[in-house]
Amino acid sequence: MSQANLATTTALVRIRGLKLEASTQRGTAHILRGVDLDIGRGRILGVVGESGSGKSSLASCLLRLLPSNITHLGGQRRVRRHDLLKLDDTTIAGWRGKRIAMIFQDPMTALNPLFTVATHLVDVLHRRHPGISRQDALGRARAALVSVGIADADLRLAAYPHQLSGGMRQRVMIAMALLVEPDLLVADEPTTALDATVEAQIVDLFEGLRSKFSGSIVFISHHLGLVAQLCDDLCVMYGGTVVETGPVAEVLSKPQHPYTQALLACEIDSDAQGGRLVSIPGEVQDPVAPHMACVFAPRCAQADARCRATVPALQACGAQRTVACVRYGELG
Amino acid sequence: MSTARPPANSALVELKGVSVVFGGKVRALDDVTLTIAQGDIVGLVGESGSGKTTLCRAIVGLTLASSGEVRLNGKSVAGQLTTNPLAFRRQVQMLLQDAVASLSPRMTIGRALHEPIAIHSLPREEASSRLQAILKRLGLQADVLVKFPHQISGGQARRVGVARALVMQPQVIIADEPTAGLDVSVQGELLNLLLDLQQEFGLTYLLVSHNLNVIRRVTARTAVMYLGQIVEEAPTRELFDKPAHPYSAALLSTNPAIDPAHRTRRIVLKGEIPSVVNPPSGCRFHTRCPVAQARCSSDSPPLTDISPERKVRCHFPFTLDPARRPPSADEDH
Amino acid sequence: MNLLANVFTTLRKVCGTLTGAVGLVIVLLVLGCAIFAPWVATHNPDALDVMSRFSRPTAAHWLGTDHLGRDLFSRMVHGASIAMQIAIASIAIALTLGTSLGILAAYLPARSERFVLIVFDVISSFPSLVLALAVVAVFGPSSTIVVFIVAVTLVPHFGRVARSQTLTLKSAPFLESERILGASWGRIVFHHVLPNILGPLVILASMDIPVVITIEAGLSFLGLGVRPPLASWGTLIQDGYTYISDTWVPVVVSSVALAVATLGFTLFGEALRDAVDPRIGREH
Repeated sequence: MSQANLATTTALVRIRGLKLEASTQRGTAHILRGVDLDIGRGRILGVVGESGSGKSSLASCLLRLLPSNITHLGGQRRVRRHDLLKLDDTTIAGWRGKRIAMIFQDPMTALNPLFTVATHLVDVLHRRHPGISRQDALGRARAALVSVGIADADLRLAAYPHQLSGGMRQRVMIAMALLVEPDLLVADEPTTALDATVEAQIVDLFEGLRSKFSGSIVFISHHLGLVAQLCDDLCVMYGGTVVETGPVAEVLSKPQHPYTQALLACEIDSDAQGGRLVSIPGEVQDPVAPHMACVFAPRCAQADARCRATVPALQACGAQRTVACVRYGELG
Repeated sequence: MSTARPPANSALVELKGVSVVFGGKVRALDDVTLTIAQGDIVGLVGESGSGKTTLCRAIVGLTLASSGEVRLNGKSVAGQLTTNPLAFRRQVQMLLQDAVASLSPRMTIGRALHEPIAIHSLPREEASSRLQAILKRLGLQADVLVKFPHQISGGQARRVGVARALVMQPQVIIADEPTAGLDVSVQGELLNLLLDLQQEFGLTYLLVSHNLNVIRRVTARTAVMYLGQIVEEAPTRELFDKPAHPYSAALLSTNPAIDPAHRTRRIVLKGEIPSVVNPPSGCRFHTRCPVAQARCSSDSPPLTDISPERKVRCHFPFTLDPARRPPSADEDH
Repeated sequence: MNLLANVFTTLRKVCGTLTGAVGLVIVLLVLGCAIFAPWVATHNPDALDVMSRFSRPTAAHWLGTDHLGRDLFSRMVHGASIAMQIAIASIAIALTLGTSLGILAAYLPARSERFVLIVFDVISSFPSLVLALAVVAVFGPSSTIVVFIVAVTLVPHFGRVARSQTLTLKSAPFLESERILGASWGRIVFHHVLPNILGPLVILASMDIPVVITIEAGLSFLGLGVRPPLASWGTLIQDGYTYISDTWVPVVVSSVALAVATLGFTLFGEALRDAVDPRIGREH
């Protein structure tokens, strides 16, 4: 997990040109418009974005990815989604629950109300270690609950999801995810539905994971402050594309993309009293609109003719940093 | 303005020892005393079970107080609801958290906007032109009028709600999570609007939000609630700089700043929020309080003034003893 | 305007499925016969022609004649008319009464609400046949009796759905919003509750049509309903059954008519429900 490794280690997951489209009544909706992203080994990557950014869809896509593989444009029809990843269902199902685990925003709907916590955890263990004995599994389950800060583990093992509070359920979900011993842990807004003081406890838990968990974590959130505190790297998304990536402190202190800059300006800077609050005029482009230019151009204060004519490629702009802006380097 | 406005700084909304008990068991509000003066922008913060929603409902007359008094303009709310409910409703309005769901799904926006005019039999010409002016002021285009609630955005729905409230020329507007569901990039616009309207129409606000940045920037005074009680009330600046109640300190520390230089150390409380049905004995916060003493579990602290503008419900509030201040960023560096 | 557009889109969706399209065709056929019976029928359904009794299907009598020489085809068409009249009348009454009671029950204090529910339970648990016998014993059989019995039996059906829909709606933010604006109870019920619960109720009503048709036919078959010489499908089956040794055509024809109509309305009702359900729509 040391910094030195990052430069030489290959990324755990490499995403190139990820496109996700869905057929709707009004035409094809482009949910992800060609995403390029690297997820480093043993790093916590924060993915931030607002509505329409595609960050949650990216999370679902991650569950279909093989590590260190380049995704290419293929065709796969699933109900009404045109999924352009060339993977077959059995292979990817084999990865889930063994190499990749996910934590969802609403733990209530992710836990089966008919089964006890013990059953949930033991199921996960059986999948990961097929031969494990029930006694062994229960022992590990108990240890897992303790490791996520649940005090009376035996009591909680016998409980049903509806008997637990929101914070407790989220801890159970994290315990389940950790039992998978995954290479990649995807957390999709895991604290958004929780009360502030409970959220603080879960964030504390995640910080503790840095030392205990050796895999990579993708932490999706709309809360910049949280991501700033918790994550190593940051990926900013807008309108189905990645606009900027890099080490979190650098991106937030010296943002290179106009959207990141505007977003940071909008974050209510608590110190400044009085004066107008900043917002970005306009709204996110309709996903049905074709992708022919920079997605942010209509709302960008610095957009010029090139921005409205070409799709900006993600280019390097410093150590470990990328930005998707044609005008990079020209702006102050 | 058809309603006479009381002079600024006179008490507009008063709650005195208000308790709300549901089903004889759930004390959603316990002995709450709060005064909102004309022209105030008061913030209300608290987590689940804090009673902030019940407080709003008590002011607006949706929930009746089981004991204590809720007064608007010096007259009891319960009394006004029986003698002249329509006049009462014209004085205080509330913006619900889910703006889209606040609109009747099978009614067009246009019809929804005319509801208050119809309900209160407001003089048609005058009210309609006022409505037009308000719509223009809020930036709502004519094409929104024929749409249905599910066809408009959250931000537009929020503005429709504001328009409906404003057409009756209320004195108080309670905003329950006005920025919930809105992206950061559009929150500023709505908040600027609310602040401008306050100036233009001489409004008084009670703003409930879990977004501490919004509270800090927009409100002048803030009350912190926990398990049905107000645990601290102070001018917003002072509250955020030097919270006196341990719960306030913990709550305010949960909001990490983007800039590491401004970050305070997070105070992580132990345990879960207790159930409102069975609150802890003595001080309700003592089970999770990092600095609780023996007295706290048996003795329930009253809401006391610790300065002319600040109240705290704690036996050992921080400001009294500088040595027991929670650690802050300044002390770390 | 919007309502009309809604209706057309819904009908289009209904036609989208095979069962829906078939159902719609049958429904239109039955309704057509019901409304235009005097023109569709080839003869006067009550015209006796004893000379041609028990006739097989011929060019003059498309489906033959019954034991009194009356044209079977015409009687069948008029049977559709009777079935529809009774169905629509009884369902309309039950819908109005049931919805009103249901909404009332949702707003009444606990004790009164319980009383209404008990009334519903009593009515539902009462076998409609016994009720029919009792009423007929007092007043004699007639179509009005059938309408009355069916309406009463259906009131709890609509009442309970109306009540549960209203209860769900009571906690909806927009109703609270209206209360905060100062809307009176009456305004809330008529402008906000009713339009929002009517949808499921109408679907329910459309799915009750086949049930009512069958009940009516059953009662008429037993002689408790429509009085002869009126040509209800039930009486047709009864007559055909009595004289089955002479000709099997009447019983078969009227049974098939009843079955097809019931099937058609059921298919249509289900397709309508699916077309209106926003969740199912999205899965296509």
